[in-house]
Amino acid sequence: MPHFNPDVRLSEIVIKEPSIIPVLNRFGITLGTGDMTLRETSDSHRLDPDFLLSIINTYSDDEYFPEQALKSVQVSTIVDYLTKTHNYYTRFQIPNIERHFDALLHTSSDNSNLSLMRRFFESVKKQLLVNIEQDAQQLFPTLLEGKEIDDTGLFSQSPVAEMLTDLKNMFIIHLTGNYDLNLAYAVIVAIITLENDIRKNNRIRDRILLGQYKRNDQ
Amino acid sequence: MTIPEAIIYDRDRLRSAGLKHILHTNFGLQVNMCDTMPGRTTESNNPSEQALIFVTPEIFTAACDFFTPRRKRTVVISSAANDSLPAIDPTIDIESIIETLDRIISELKENVASDNRGELSQREIEVLRLVARGHINKEIADILNISIHTVLSHRKNITAKLGIKSTSGLAVYAMMNGYISDCGI
Repeated sequence: MPHFNPDVRLSEIVIKEPSIIPVLNRFGITLGTGDMTLRETSDSHRLDPDFLLSIINTYSDDEYFPEQALKSVQVSTIVDYLTKTHNYYTRFQIPNIERHFDALLHTSSDNSNLSLMRRFFESVKKQLLVNIEQDAQQLFPTLLEGKEIDDTGLFSQSPVAEMLTDLKNMFIIHLTGNYDLNLAYAVIVAIITLENDIRKNNRIRDRILLGQYKRNDQ
Repeated sequence: MTIPEAIIYDRDRLRSAGLKHILHTNFGLQVNMCDTMPGRTTESNNPSEQALIFVTPEIFTAACDFFTPRRKRTVVISSAANDSLPAIDPTIDIESIIETLDRIISELKENVASDNRGELSQREIEVLRLVARGHINKEIADILNISIHTVLSHRKNITAKLGIKSTSGLAVYAMMNGYISDCGI
């Protein structure tokens, strides 16, 4: 897919890539974008248009490597974005999955497989919160202060995205018994959305933020 | 042309002919013999995706890339013990050879059948149970008396069949299917 540029109307980008709506929300950009280009929108929200563009391109194209475009972006900008992303997980995406999952369980009370899968999601959530806490309390402050990272264990995190893939496959491949099809679909879509979001942000975290740190450290 | 149910890769034609005779008369298998590497000459050298494979260690080693993915339907013709592949010792008496072949062929056919159904084999279920109970690969290798390499191979197959990779995910699957009673997640 061709990459977007800053002079394209934001509405065109959203129409082609509706999955970036929640990403724009993290930057404070809401729907009703009118005729404004991405550059104009960035200016009105006091954002770096190159940074916003790179994030959008990272979301819309798995082959896009934002290292080059983002190498001059300040660490604080990336940390701010990732922090907003983490907040989005905890305030919206996780509760969204829980709400749909609980509704699904409520309508499928005799399905023991779903109860087990709900417990599995609890363990995924717990691990995701541990990862977020570790970044917020240890990794991000250290990077913002420009200090050396002693504990290289902070670089790597438990593979939450892989666990979400497992959960998605449990639904798609292994789910048996009675359940509400529409609610199951809603849970699967919510899981896939979070899984994709985490994978994209892991690229930004690992390749750009930590990539910058490792280059400076050499 | 008849599709072979078993293929023997052995440069020793006399031994190969003997094994072919046993497999045909005792197990009713349609057998092809090859004294070359697989895939090098004619198409008939390539086993169908169902055929059982009997191969000497020398040919297995020389064409490792070919045999390794087919290890679940492969028997090594060797007197040396091998913990990762079933083996038939050509030096023991005929009665014992037939007895051993009877056991091995049943196991391999079950492997082929479960692969075709995308189901786990009995050995994979044993590995899954131990993974689900929290054992690490080294412990599983010790408990089942197999090499770590074989444990990894089973785990890879389990993940490929189930689409589940994480230990806690496998534990949930094991509970969902009654392989363990509680995984403690």
